[in-house]
Amino acid sequence: MDQELLMKQIVEQVMAAMNKSAAAPAAAPKACGTKVTAADYPLAENMADKIATPTGKPFASLSYEKVISGELSAEDMRIAPETLEMQAQVAESVGREAFAGNLRRAAELIAVPDDRLLEIYNALRPYRSTKQELLDIAAELDGYKATVAAGLVREAAEVYEKRDRLKKF
Amino acid sequence: MKSKRFEVLAARPVNQDGYVKEWPEVGLIAMDSPFDPKPSIKVENGRIVEMDGKTRDEFDMLDTFIADHAIRIDGAEAAMAIDSLDIARKIVDINVSRDEILAITLCLTPAKLTEVVGKLNIVEIMMGMTKMRARMQPANQCHVTNVRDNPVQIAADAAEAGVRGFAEMETTVAVARYAPFNAMALFVGAQVGRPGVMTQCALEEATELMLGMRGFTTYAETISVYGTEPVFMDGDDTPYSKAFLASCYASRGLKMRFTSGTGSEVQMGYAEGKSMLYLEARCLAVTKGAGVQGTQNGSVSCIGVPAGVPGGIRAVAAENLISMLLDLESTTSNDQTFTHSDLRRVARSVPQFFSGTDYICSGYSATPNYDNMFAGSNWDAEDYDDWNIIQRDMKVDGGLQPVREEEVLKARNKAARALQGMFRELGLPEITDAEVEAATYANGSNDMPPRNVNEDLKAIEEMMARKVTGVDFVRALDKAGFPDVAHSVYNMLRQKVAGDYLHTASIFDESFHVLSAVNMPNQYHGPMTGYQMSEERWNKLKDIPNAIRPEDI
Repeated sequence: MDQELLMKQIVEQVMAAMNKSAAAPAAAPKACGTKVTAADYPLAENMADKIATPTGKPFASLSYEKVISGELSAEDMRIAPETLEMQAQVAESVGREAFAGNLRRAAELIAVPDDRLLEIYNALRPYRSTKQELLDIAAELDGYKATVAAGLVREAAEVYEKRDRLKKF
Repeated sequence: MKSKRFEVLAARPVNQDGYVKEWPEVGLIAMDSPFDPKPSIKVENGRIVEMDGKTRDEFDMLDTFIADHAIRIDGAEAAMAIDSLDIARKIVDINVSRDEILAITLCLTPAKLTEVVGKLNIVEIMMGMTKMRARMQPANQCHVTNVRDNPVQIAADAAEAGVRGFAEMETTVAVARYAPFNAMALFVGAQVGRPGVMTQCALEEATELMLGMRGFTTYAETISVYGTEPVFMDGDDTPYSKAFLASCYASRGLKMRFTSGTGSEVQMGYAEGKSMLYLEARCLAVTKGAGVQGTQNGSVSCIGVPAGVPGGIRAVAAENLISMLLDLESTTSNDQTFTHSDLRRVARSVPQFFSGTDYICSGYSATPNYDNMFAGSNWDAEDYDDWNIIQRDMKVDGGLQPVREEEVLKARNKAARALQGMFRELGLPEITDAEVEAATYANGSNDMPPRNVNEDLKAIEEMMARKVTGVDFVRALDKAGFPDVAHSVYNMLRQKVAGDYLHTASIFDESFHVLSAVNMPNQYHGPMTGYQMSEERWNKLKDIPNAIRPEDI
């Protein structure tokens, strides 16, 4: 257990350092004209020209050689909000609304830095936060235009209060 | 005078297992507890105001989450009004399609789902699995661990497991600080064995996510959910925190599934007098409500509990079926050791093995039992040939295939050398030629020379501090003279940008083409439909090296 804690501390330090140099948060997903469906799936094969990295590089332009030369970095090998929205539409086209909802919530969270995301997750664990702290997190998520995720946190705040799972003093 | 017969029977392995009589008051009952709630639902203004005998003001946290997120409200009252026996009969009726079943079952409450599967005998449950699992083609997953967290051995065992056919591989640690090495060894070894294999490292939730974010893993599985509120709290999570965590994974392009299973609540002392299956149905509803694509269930590490009570192994198969009735990827356990009896351990796996599931084992131990850090598995490396022969006997595709010794040795050796080169290029402690040689021919960690653990742990800390990511693995492998392995690692990282494998029941073939419930949905509707083994695949499965050729006699 001690080793796990130590690992966690190391990780948190590293992630804090990483995020100081992280790029500005990506924009919220743009609305797509036509819906993507299962017929377009897999997007990597059928819509390679329509998807891009959060750093704005077209998926089709990614290459092994560019990784080796250093032109592409770890920051480029991430999913973009627009792509998750497209995948959510694929999920809806095969009747998986709950899963699509998760992908949309995820699309919003791309903008939240890694370390902050982990902190928010920990704050949502039982007895970790006061109601106000949870509401503040919801407001912070609104600031990232993460309205679905903010809604989930507000919902949690209500339920935790009712079930006595808020931070005890 | 004692019976000689009874003396022999008493010494049999099956009588070294533990059994317990049902005790419904504490939840020691597999299914149909007299204390299980009766199914009910009431919807007002598009909101569930009563569920399974409780009104909204009586809901606990799980009830609230399930009522608000897990059940399709439109049509819920109509679906709940259908007799459970009628729904059970539709499940085994080849004239009722999977989609028609889902239109009903996605609207059901946990108590109703429990009641429906309670009407099915074990063969009918298997029929249900054949029809209701999400992906057409079954697959299999393995554990790759060892007691000393030796990364060279992990890479070699992963490579062999890839050659043998596993589509997913999972590692974990003996010493938590070794996690990054285990994860990278598994990643590299798996890609040597068979390009496109997905890999994960089971750890504490936040650490597991961090490794995924940094490209050390490609998916996650050990995101546990529980069927009662007190046990959920003991697990230090809530349905809301877990739903948020699910989105964190997807936001980084990482596939993930939840984990749950019968017996965990009674083992943790808060079953609230409900049957194991009812509580598992609640877990699965939470999983569905969180918007997760799939689940690992089937009692998993609590298998000793249902296995001890009457009908327990049937309930384990029934819980797998409920996950399929909720259109979730079904990763069906068959992992932790629960019995001394070889007969019993095979019988326990028959429902998933013969029906086919998205991942039959989760996982099959790719090492000898003593090296399995998930407390042993129902199947291990020493059972490889048994599994292959059972596939051949029954003409069943359990995801594996017979292999030749020389191809396995080649893969093990290459994986060990690739890791050796990658370690060198990343400035990590040396992997010696002696270690490569040992890993090539090893059965388990007893055959491996010890490593300098302090030096490894120090190097890991330093590596994490200098922000090494999966992209660095690609560059290091290329530099070390393993461009094909580097390409495979790159291709796995690239998939995170597209997100196709986030979808239900995904696997990759060796060309990194995704196969999931979206483009390979299960379409079973009776004999000669659904997954039909190709001639090529069957030739591979039946080609065991030790079969005599008639023309040689």
